[in-house]
Amino acid sequence: MPGPLYKAAAIVGAAEANEIGFLKTPITALQLHIEAIKNLSEQTGVAISRIEGVFSTGWSTELCEHLGIKPKYIDTTSVGGCSFEMHVHHAMAAIHAGIIDIALVSHGENGHSANKIGGRGASNYARGAGALSPGVEMSMAYGLGSAPSNYAHAMVRHMHRYGTKREDYAHIAKVTRDWATLNPRAAMYSKEKHPFGGPITVEQVEESRVIAWPLTILHCCMVTDHGGAVLVTSPKVAASLNTKPVWLAGAGESMGHGNMLEMDDFTATSAGRSSQAAYTMAGLGPSDMEMALIYDSFTITAAITAEMLGLAAPGEGHTLWKDGHAAPGGKLPINTNGGGLSFNHSGMYGMPLLIEAYRQLSGTAEDGINGDTGKQTSARTCVVNGTGGSLSTTGTLVLVADD
Amino acid sequence: MSYDKPIPTQGTHTKPFWQGASEGKLMLPRCVDCNRVHWYPRHICPHCHSMNLEWIEGSGRGRIHTYAVQHLAFGVWAKEAPYVTAYIDLNEGDRMLTVLRGVDPEKPEDIKIGAPVVVEFEKANDDTYIPFWRVVEE
Repeated sequence: MPGPLYKAAAIVGAAEANEIGFLKTPITALQLHIEAIKNLSEQTGVAISRIEGVFSTGWSTELCEHLGIKPKYIDTTSVGGCSFEMHVHHAMAAIHAGIIDIALVSHGENGHSANKIGGRGASNYARGAGALSPGVEMSMAYGLGSAPSNYAHAMVRHMHRYGTKREDYAHIAKVTRDWATLNPRAAMYSKEKHPFGGPITVEQVEESRVIAWPLTILHCCMVTDHGGAVLVTSPKVAASLNTKPVWLAGAGESMGHGNMLEMDDFTATSAGRSSQAAYTMAGLGPSDMEMALIYDSFTITAAITAEMLGLAAPGEGHTLWKDGHAAPGGKLPINTNGGGLSFNHSGMYGMPLLIEAYRQLSGTAEDGINGDTGKQTSARTCVVNGTGGSLSTTGTLVLVADD
Repeated sequence: MSYDKPIPTQGTHTKPFWQGASEGKLMLPRCVDCNRVHWYPRHICPHCHSMNLEWIEGSGRGRIHTYAVQHLAFGVWAKEAPYVTAYIDLNEGDRMLTVLRGVDPEKPEDIKIGAPVVVEFEKANDDTYIPFWRVVEE
């Protein structure tokens, strides 16, 4: 008997770059990708703007940005030459599940030309993830590098558009620290744990060292060490275990850009689209969410994301913290572990979001190791949103507690 | 003094931009089919997906879209801090990144979003003249 993915999808076209082989005129991997994609579009009559899922070895965000498309499914599996067969497998699952109908699997690799135009980064866009791109070429002269150097531009635009002050966002840092003081595992739990730990005031946030104006250091997440893992199973396996399940009711993903140079609207992220997909799958909406876990790389990230998730009106994200709703005891607890701002942020904070969501909805957020009295909320639903890059990519989950 | 900060490495399809820059011209890619300018330079129009692209000489004028003041910088840029970075809305459409000139990084509130700017080029090496934008009177 065939499996559930049997004939769930079909390959409907296949094309290559204009010229391939030992090219006399060196070519970049990027150009090889784009030519193949354009030729595929012409062969099949499927416009590039209709592509919903992009599967490529480590370079999908860059390709989407270059094409100006905003997909619903992004896969960068890069495990060697077999990656493309795996991409097709993953695309089958995504199509079968009804997430997407049209998937692009793309390859571009200048193994020959790279020897001529530099395989050491340089002008070779590019052999794989992290390599240079035309966006980097046109940005690298201008002294940006660290995350705050980029994110500060979004904060200035957000303040300009909505007439907010930096102090409004400082409340996010203060309230998030309040949560950290209830979590013994938080890096900023107490003065004993870290010299800068323990409660902070809005004034202290405002008066701390400027990193990238308007961001002071207390508007920024930490850079720490972290390891974490979650196990996802079928309902059948979940029922056989002693741990309490937390149900995945909805999921969605999207992207706006890779390089901030390509950010259409500095006051909005793709979390609007990714959360819409997640809410729709869950049959729930923002008003059904009883808590939220939001990637708070910076205070501005949390504020914008809260707006994108529909938890606050545009320009009013910060009020959730300022008015105390997001704080311990508030009506919409947010970042109950102490966040990237005060709990832990190793560089990619998405995993701590998942761990805290599980702890809260499984009722294990306050066992003395993972939290002190006051950290465990009564929430039965939680929206979780991770943001990647420079406000570039987003993944949203809607989780619900077991009955 | 020779230019000591990071110098862009030029791609294969961006040569007309750097050639123009060395002549004091701001060259921009435009789609022949939909007529729209895009930035950064691409192999395909990000608006209509035509590959029928051309280069035009831009006006070299624009306005501040948003900005930030970099106090913590790395490498050679560290000794320049604080300095103002900004995204510029080009008169022709789309945006460029720059280190903004003609502003006081110690008075960030005095910098105005929407303020007019003009491009100027600084020689980094014989092949590379880097565009920077300067705030000017309305």
